[in-house]
Amino acid sequence: MKDLFQYTAGNSVIHRMNPLTKILLAVCICAAGFISDNIFYLLFLLLLDMMIGLAAGVFKKALSILKGLLKVSIFLFILQVLFVRRGTPVFWIITDEGLMLAAKVVLRLIIACIPLALMLAVTQISDLANALVQVLHLPYKYAFTLTTSIRFIPQFMEEMGDIMEAQTARGVEFDTKNGLKKIGLVLPLCVPLLISSVRRTDATAVAAEVRGFELRTTKSGFKKYPFRLIDLAAFLICAALIAGAVLL
Amino acid sequence: MISLEKVSFGYGEGSSTVRDISFHIEKGEFVAILGANGAGKTTTVKLIDGLLKPTKGKVVINGLDTSKTRVSERARHVGFLFQNPDRQICRNTVREELAFGLETVKKDMSREDIDRRVGEVMESFGFSGDEEPFSLSRGERQRVALASVITVQPEIMILDEPTTGLDYRECSHIMDVISDMNRTMGTTVVMVCHDMEVVMSYARRALVMAGGRLLADGTVRSVFRDTELMLKASLLPPQITELSMRLGKGFENADTVGEMTARICSEMQVRRAGR
Repeated sequence: MKDLFQYTAGNSVIHRMNPLTKILLAVCICAAGFISDNIFYLLFLLLLDMMIGLAAGVFKKALSILKGLLKVSIFLFILQVLFVRRGTPVFWIITDEGLMLAAKVVLRLIIACIPLALMLAVTQISDLANALVQVLHLPYKYAFTLTTSIRFIPQFMEEMGDIMEAQTARGVEFDTKNGLKKIGLVLPLCVPLLISSVRRTDATAVAAEVRGFELRTTKSGFKKYPFRLIDLAAFLICAALIAGAVLL
Repeated sequence: MISLEKVSFGYGEGSSTVRDISFHIEKGEFVAILGANGAGKTTTVKLIDGLLKPTKGKVVINGLDTSKTRVSERARHVGFLFQNPDRQICRNTVREELAFGLETVKKDMSREDIDRRVGEVMESFGFSGDEEPFSLSRGERQRVALASVITVQPEIMILDEPTTGLDYRECSHIMDVISDMNRTMGTTVVMVCHDMEVVMSYARRALVMAGGRLLADGTVRSVFRDTELMLKASLLPPQITELSMRLGKGFENADTVGEMTARICSEMQVRRAGR
């Protein structure tokens, strides 16, 4: 899971898109997922997510996200099924409406999680920051903050894994199969993780400052990010996705 | 006590970080694992503690296969000092930090016994107990991490580069404490180390690794004097060993400053007598 947000090099159609188009496409898929109430449309969006993964050469990553979401999805599904009492009973306290709502909630969760992770996997973080500055004229300070926080996610996940490993070696039972017990054990991890996060952030800020962070302007990047035909096609897809979600 | 039989391990599909290594470590030994970066040293010590499970072969500690037992259960007998102390430290004061290990693995120990044991270790390390671990220096944090491992009094201590980033004084203090436990309590020590002077001064046996394979297993002196082996493993012997090898006859096995001084004195006496 920790290499989820790491860039996967390639020359696919998705790779060649403008970084902002990729993010817009991801946001539109997520938005369509939340707007639509049609289960078939939600299934179509899930299929679209997987097809994007296939087209971008990151299908394995898409599958691993799906696998990662499996436990949470099952938990959410059970919770919804048990608490929604509307509709016709199918079995015990489970109703048809409960089943449908649970399926929709789970599908929405998956649809919302996959596209953004996939888009980040096919976009270099520096390109995203530069495009935000050049195209949207966002001050570099904010673009840097945004991209740094994205870059930190896999690092924090790795750090968390290392801390858990160290604590297991000290006798903390992170290797137990009891999930509930494991959740209770996470508390001692908060201190080292918080400290290392603050230290890392501080070190990054100092390193950026000594490398002339304050001197950077919109003209500092040599790479340009124009919108091409492929981006226009993606905009049309975005519009179609939102329209489909509203109409269907 | 520790036994690795034809152990292989890879982090990803098809990768092989450790390849087909076998060795046996007896109780009370002080073993150093040497090798260049990426040789597979840290992976090997993690395999020993069961933090990683071998893809092939078997790791046995105290007669138990590490693949079939839990790491947290082994913590009572095996202490692991990580390269980065910040991953180990999780309490707000040094006293709480030292007590944490005992509270976790020795649940039957009384509060008085825990406090007494923590007090003893704090005294030997020179801590008052109220210090905040995260506001200490890197070297001091490393000492806190080591102290918390020592508090549990494990039978086996695995140390992953314990002296990295420490100044001479801190390094000597840490190594003296470890050496003392090895001599007086018979604690088995397995140490990954890049400092050859430290290895020469404290370890008795050396395992040399390169490219995930075990290249050599022997006494520290014999390993350091094998020029071809050292070259193959991209290692440099301590300067005294290199000097004694260059001086040749009459200076064999002069691997420490004391031994070299003694040889020079005796050589001078021989020459004076010859005149």
